[in-house]
Amino acid sequence: MADQEQSTSSTFPNPPPFWQDFTPDNLNRIEQLRKSFAEANPTRDVPTRLPDIPESLINLQPPAEPKDGRFRIFGEHFTVRISPPKDPMSSSSLIYPRANQKVQQLENKLVTLEEGGITNLARTHPSRQGDNATPSSSLNRRDVPHTDHALELKRLVKSLLLNFLELAGTLSINPNDGPAKVADLEILLFNIHHALNEYRPHQARESAAELMQEHLDRTRRETTAIRSQVEKARRVLEGLGSLTIPAEAERGAAAAAGEDAAQVAEELRALDRRRDAELWAATDAAFA
Amino acid sequence: MGDRLTQVQDAVDQLAQQFVAALYFVQRRHDLETLGPKDKIFTPKQDGQAPPSEVDSLPVDDFRAGLTELSRDLITKEQQIEYLISMLPGLQNSEQDQERAIKELEEDLKAAESQRREALKERDQILAELDQVIRSIRRP
Repeated sequence: MADQEQSTSSTFPNPPPFWQDFTPDNLNRIEQLRKSFAEANPTRDVPTRLPDIPESLINLQPPAEPKDGRFRIFGEHFTVRISPPKDPMSSSSLIYPRANQKVQQLENKLVTLEEGGITNLARTHPSRQGDNATPSSSLNRRDVPHTDHALELKRLVKSLLLNFLELAGTLSINPNDGPAKVADLEILLFNIHHALNEYRPHQARESAAELMQEHLDRTRRETTAIRSQVEKARRVLEGLGSLTIPAEAERGAAAAAGEDAAQVAEELRALDRRRDAELWAATDAAFA
Repeated sequence: MGDRLTQVQDAVDQLAQQFVAALYFVQRRHDLETLGPKDKIFTPKQDGQAPPSEVDSLPVDDFRAGLTELSRDLITKEQQIEYLISMLPGLQNSEQDQERAIKELEEDLKAAESQRREALKERDQILAELDQVIRSIRRP
């Protein structure tokens, strides 16, 4: 029994220890601190992390950004660049217009091939053409379509095949030279994967545009469908309206004739029946 | 089935695996040849615990056919990759084009959404009218 309990309790890892710090009491205290900070600095916005916070409340606010731009998630290493707020034209500001105004951005940066110790073969990608470029040319760079990129990728893949052929040849003549050729293949593969990963942001933007287009089409279709239904309902209403009025008139005339009471009642019933029949016929016609 | 970039990456990985498979095939399934009159093909004795042979030879024709097939597969895969690359989304668009397109779409979306709301309002109105009429049929 004890063993069973042990195994069930260890199925999931324990929550991080600081969850116990989030007591109502502590939450109230940090709220107080925030208020007093806002009062003390009326001109400034309250930052996400208050300075000089008591040790016991330190876990109630998010930790600072990594100083060296490195952090770990689920055992994987990530590098970020803490960049100043971006210019308003940049793509992320389109999607998160507010986030850019105050918050410094953590930018996830792809490790370059050189940083990974791999020879960089292709240099055509717009973002790779010379990091020493002047700011003015960096604007022009974003204007470049990616056709060169595709060409470069195709070249790389062709080289891959050629290098394999060479490897097969080398192995048949002098197997000892094989490893050098394998290293070439490796570099090519790394380059291809890197080039593809560089393309990802571009594809992401493209997919976003595609999704929006789809949504737009759907909304428009919906609007047209609603409109046509409304139109139909309106026609039904008009059909009904043109029918009821003569019936009412007839009935009024019959009542005004002021004949025998029983006869009047009989006529009224007949009129009602006829009116009903006409109404249903009209409704059927309108819905058909 | 992922996005197109992932497809390309998977295809490249498959190509690399095919390289390995092709080399392995050549290494294992070739026939043994004598290079000179003095060479003798070593055959392990059939009796007892003979060590497994280094090569598992195929008949010459089968081996040739295998080579052809593998080479054809390699080239097909490479062509596939090139096709996938030329199918990558938005190759002809630059980043600025994309941003412009997204902005336009955003505005169009807003307009379409407000139109939709209008249509909905109209629909509710007509429904209410219709409802009223239907109720009034019963009463006179």
